Amino acid sequence: MNPVANYLFDYLGNVLYSPEKAELDIDKLPKDFQELGEGILFFVKCVEEVRAFANDLSRGNLKGTYPSSDNELAAPLKMLHSSLRHLTWQAQQVAKGDFRQHVDFLGDFADAFNRMTRQLNEQRAALLEEIANSRQRELALAQSNDLFEVVTKEASQWLVVVERESCDWLFTNYPVRNILAYDYMERQLRDQLRERVNAQDEENAQGNPVLVLEHELGVQHFSIIARPVTWRTRPSVAFMLTDVSEEYAHIHELEDVAFHDPMTRLFNRNYGMRHFEKLLAEKRQFALCFVDIDNLKYVNDKYGHNEGDKYIQVVAAELRTFAPTATVCRLGGDEFMLMAPDMSAAEAENVLEGLREQLTAHNNDSKTVYFHSMSYGVVDVPTDNERLASELLAAADEKMYLYKREHKMERRN
Amino acid sequence: MDNVFRKPKTHDEFSWENLGNIKEGRGDLGEEMPVLVYRLMQYTMLDVLSKSFGQEEANEYFRQAGYLAGSEFAKNTLDLKTDFDTFLANLHTALATLKIGILRMEAFDPETGEITLTVGQDLDCSGLPVTNETVCNYDEGFIAGILKEYTGTTYDVREIDCWANGDRVCRFNGKARKPS
Repeated sequence: MNPVANYLFDYLGNVLYSPEKAELDIDKLPKDFQELGEGILFFVKCVEEVRAFANDLSRGNLKGTYPSSDNELAAPLKMLHSSLRHLTWQAQQVAKGDFRQHVDFLGDFADAFNRMTRQLNEQRAALLEEIANSRQRELALAQSNDLFEVVTKEASQWLVVVERESCDWLFTNYPVRNILAYDYMERQLRDQLRERVNAQDEENAQGNPVLVLEHELGVQHFSIIARPVTWRTRPSVAFMLTDVSEEYAHIHELEDVAFHDPMTRLFNRNYGMRHFEKLLAEKRQFALCFVDIDNLKYVNDKYGHNEGDKYIQVVAAELRTFAPTATVCRLGGDEFMLMAPDMSAAEAENVLEGLREQLTAHNNDSKTVYFHSMSYGVVDVPTDNERLASELLAAADEKMYLYKREHKMERRN
Repeated sequence: MDNVFRKPKTHDEFSWENLGNIKEGRGDLGEEMPVLVYRLMQYTMLDVLSKSFGQEEANEYFRQAGYLAGSEFAKNTLDLKTDFDTFLANLHTALATLKIGILRMEAFDPETGEITLTVGQDLDCSGLPVTNETVCNYDEGFIAGILKEYTGTTYDVREIDCWANGDRVCRFNGKARKPS
């Protein structure tokens, strides 16, 4: 091989495989080859720049030595370098939260990157929407809370929220907090609300719609509404208590007028007949007693109605003691009706006979100016009774007359 | 007699309005034209200016014209009150929509304001024969004008890679000029 060609060949070999040994001295070349030598040196410089640049890129170093501007061999790598720098910028922007970045090169990578930024953008939009909704809910909640505060502060009703499991009180309004100063009141209220919370768990529980609190000045009645609520994530029951003591007293008064005989304070005919029908409807066994005051017309005529009224009250007082479970009514005038549940006619007659004896005992008093006595008739009302109330009453009335007739002579004596 | 209603207009003062209503004026041909025509005007003008004033002087005229164009472009088409990221996104869209080039950010130093970006498929130079020189002087000014309008800071922008220099993208480096 020509020595010049050999020299250049060795040089190029070293450039490729032993760069540290690669050296080309232009002056050692014949004049005609010196320009070629310079061209080869420039080319090798370009190659080495490209190699160094490629090495940097392969290691991810984007800040390495940049090829010289007249190195056209490096153009594709410079373009790659530019793309990677731009990609780095885009990744940094994404990290900052700017998801508008879009890669329009790098094929599949671009598809994946663009899908990622699109999804991040959608997620952020959804999150922002959720935050906006949440803020609106917070605002609505705050408004509701303000309203709630006003209502609970001004309301005369008592409001108590009781946790279902522990029965702890989670909320009370002002009127309730007032009574907490009185232990015995608080205790009564806590006990009754606890019972009602427990009753909430029973299916179709129908609690007493009236809650009663006793205190030094009397009894307070409350209508009560219970509703299941979730109070700060805890299952609870909200109670609203309305003081109905006045209404209750009024109703009680009306009931008293409607169902009681004003003179004797016994139940009147209206109540008696209702109760009678109720016992029959319930198929209860009881003794039905018809009682008549003896000689009342005589007393009225001879001693006046005031005395007659006193006589009626004496008899009523005796009948009131008949039995704690019995219902005693004044039907009107000199007639009374008694209903004694779970008592036989014979037992009832015994008791009535005892009461009659106590009544006639008045006759032994020297101040007594007229004869005190009463007559009675009793019928059994069995559980399988088929007779009407009027028939039963007529039967008891008839027995009473028989009794009255039998004891007519005693009254004369 | 002179027409007192119409004062004579000169073209020694640029105004955005004087670009005219292109859509109306070019009802059939439309608002677009081939890049070839743009470059024909650009490089014939460069030729004339270079012969009259020398290469460096001609490049500087191009840079100044680009600066004016960038400034007017920014003022008339871009939202200059948004945050930086949004501004860049809008600029990217505007340059792509008007087919000026594809903007790609590479780096921005918020401390110094130094910026590096590339413009791919550049209107001025992509596809030119390699002449071992950077030719996008107009772009340098254009970018500097835009940056000045957005940041309020004067920028010195220089092209460091160019298609005409054998590269495949045009890379620009902008340095914020420190207030004197």
